[in-house]
Amino acid sequence: VRSWRGRQILTPEHVEIELLPAGLGSRFLAFVVDLTLVLAVSSLSGQLLVSLLPGGFGMVVYGILWLGLQWGYHVFFEVRYAGVSPGKRAVGLRVVDGRGLPLSLEQSFVRNALRAVDALPVGYAVGAVACLFERYGRRLGDVVADTLVVRDARFGVFDRRMAGGRAFNSLRTPRLLRLIRHRVSLEEREFLGAVCLRAPELEDRARFDLMDEVGRFYRDRLEIEDTHLSGENLVRGLAGVLFAERSTPRARLESS
Amino acid sequence: VSASFSSPSTAATRLAPRAVDLEHFVRERQARWSRLESLLNEVDRLPERAVGAQRLLELVRLYRQTCADLNEARAYTANPQLLGRLNQLAGRGYRFVYRRSHARPTWAALRELLAREIPAAFRRERLVVLAAAAAFVVGVAVGAGAVLADPLNAERLIPAEFFTESPHERVERIEQEPERIDSTEDAAAFGTFLFSHNIQVSLLVFSLGALTLVGGIAMLFYNGVILGAVAATYVLDGVPAFFFAWVGPHGALEIPAIIFGGAAGLRLGCALLLPGGLSTATSLRRAFPSVWRMLLGTAIVLVIAGLVEGSFSQFSARIFPYPLKIGVAAVLFVLLLAALFLRRREPEAAP
Repeated sequence: VRSWRGRQILTPEHVEIELLPAGLGSRFLAFVVDLTLVLAVSSLSGQLLVSLLPGGFGMVVYGILWLGLQWGYHVFFEVRYAGVSPGKRAVGLRVVDGRGLPLSLEQSFVRNALRAVDALPVGYAVGAVACLFERYGRRLGDVVADTLVVRDARFGVFDRRMAGGRAFNSLRTPRLLRLIRHRVSLEEREFLGAVCLRAPELEDRARFDLMDEVGRFYRDRLEIEDTHLSGENLVRGLAGVLFAERSTPRARLESS
Repeated sequence: VSASFSSPSTAATRLAPRAVDLEHFVRERQARWSRLESLLNEVDRLPERAVGAQRLLELVRLYRQTCADLNEARAYTANPQLLGRLNQLAGRGYRFVYRRSHARPTWAALRELLAREIPAAFRRERLVVLAAAAAFVVGVAVGAGAVLADPLNAERLIPAEFFTESPHERVERIEQEPERIDSTEDAAAFGTFLFSHNIQVSLLVFSLGALTLVGGIAMLFYNGVILGAVAATYVLDGVPAFFFAWVGPHGALEIPAIIFGGAAGLRLGCALLLPGGLSTATSLRRAFPSVWRMLLGTAIVLVIAGLVEGSFSQFSARIFPYPLKIGVAAVLFVLLLAALFLRRREPEAAP
């Protein structure tokens, strides 16, 4: 699975917002949900119309309705509900304008008209191939309409208790704290936090290898001579030092 | 031993100048982020006029604060969850605060769109319409010319499935047999199938034009060649009136509609591939207002054409003589062009 670059938007507040493109799988899933809805509604209403209206009139109304549903369904939801159709809501996706704004009626019209090519020859094959080669992973309709399908799922709650909280830590020495300040960047601190947060999800063997590798790297980087410390203990200890709460009672700090 | 990692440092460090207690940062501001999120969830479902000044002001204030928080958080941390959540909130807020206001859809606006804006779009883009029509007409000339020069060319140009019988035999068969369409149900079903199919074809021509320009022109040219070749075989076989009476009534609408769809594609393709001095995004946005109106116009014309094709076109000469059918074709064609391209009196400007 490859991940696509996000698109940077600079707001008038001078804040950069990143639009994160959604992946192929989730988009296909959303499309299947939408398609099922369209088919269900149109076949039901088709039965009703043809049996209720006299002569061929029901057929014509149904034909126009089917066209309207097929092409208008996406346009309606994208414009009325700020880029979220029922399928996209279920999966957690949203269509937005390439500049980060809600997409306009005309953009929605164009991106849906180009489904005629994206859906070729079967099952959106052309669109999928286009996604693989496009910078932001868009299908052709999105390229021409300058729109983007972004992830709109809820983010997990911020929680980092698992990374910190080691009251007794042999790594918290003045010398090591000084080295950390000079040799560990902000990203690395987050990386170490993330390793500890994800460690419980890993298989034992994989966790051991990962911790060993990371531990070896930081053992060299920070010139830690304590050879008895295992990789896992070293990484967890480092994370504990890095994420030590400022509010930690001084007594606890001094006791270490 | 109070020299902990979080104490202020004097030297240039690679960590944040003043290490911040992120838990504290989050705890302090979590409430406003949640409030912004729930407000955004509310207004996403509301029509614009129901938002209300109170809610609007609060939302804008929270959005600005969240933007500041995002910038601050970026300086402190690279935590994907925190930055992801703030980035998403700021993005949603931005979409709400800076969006274009929607006019409420009204019947008057719809009438205005159909009666004035769609024809105006076609008049504005008459150059690409002419170009698309030229590609098609050249195709017709080439197809007809090739068949008239050498009748054997017909077999090379026209797809094999149309070659079951000679034009002459076909005319006899159709004019002798019972009517193909003998009820309104049949007419409606056939017409519905036809306009659905034709809209798919037009959208394909549109899309190829928008993506490649050349592809759209080639499709128009190819469709022209086939039509020209088929027409020429009927002429050579001595039954031209049948052809024009059979194809005319719906062709008078359908063929222009496919040209219109192609023209909309060419307009968009020019904006995408030949943006000139503009950025692609800007040049596309300038093309959209014309393009979507042309597409909508194309679809409407195709629905009407499909209904004519499913009913009127299918009747043999015993019911509607050829001159009547050809006359109807001419009238429909003139009406269509007049509706789209005749300059209308502009509405009086409001004082």
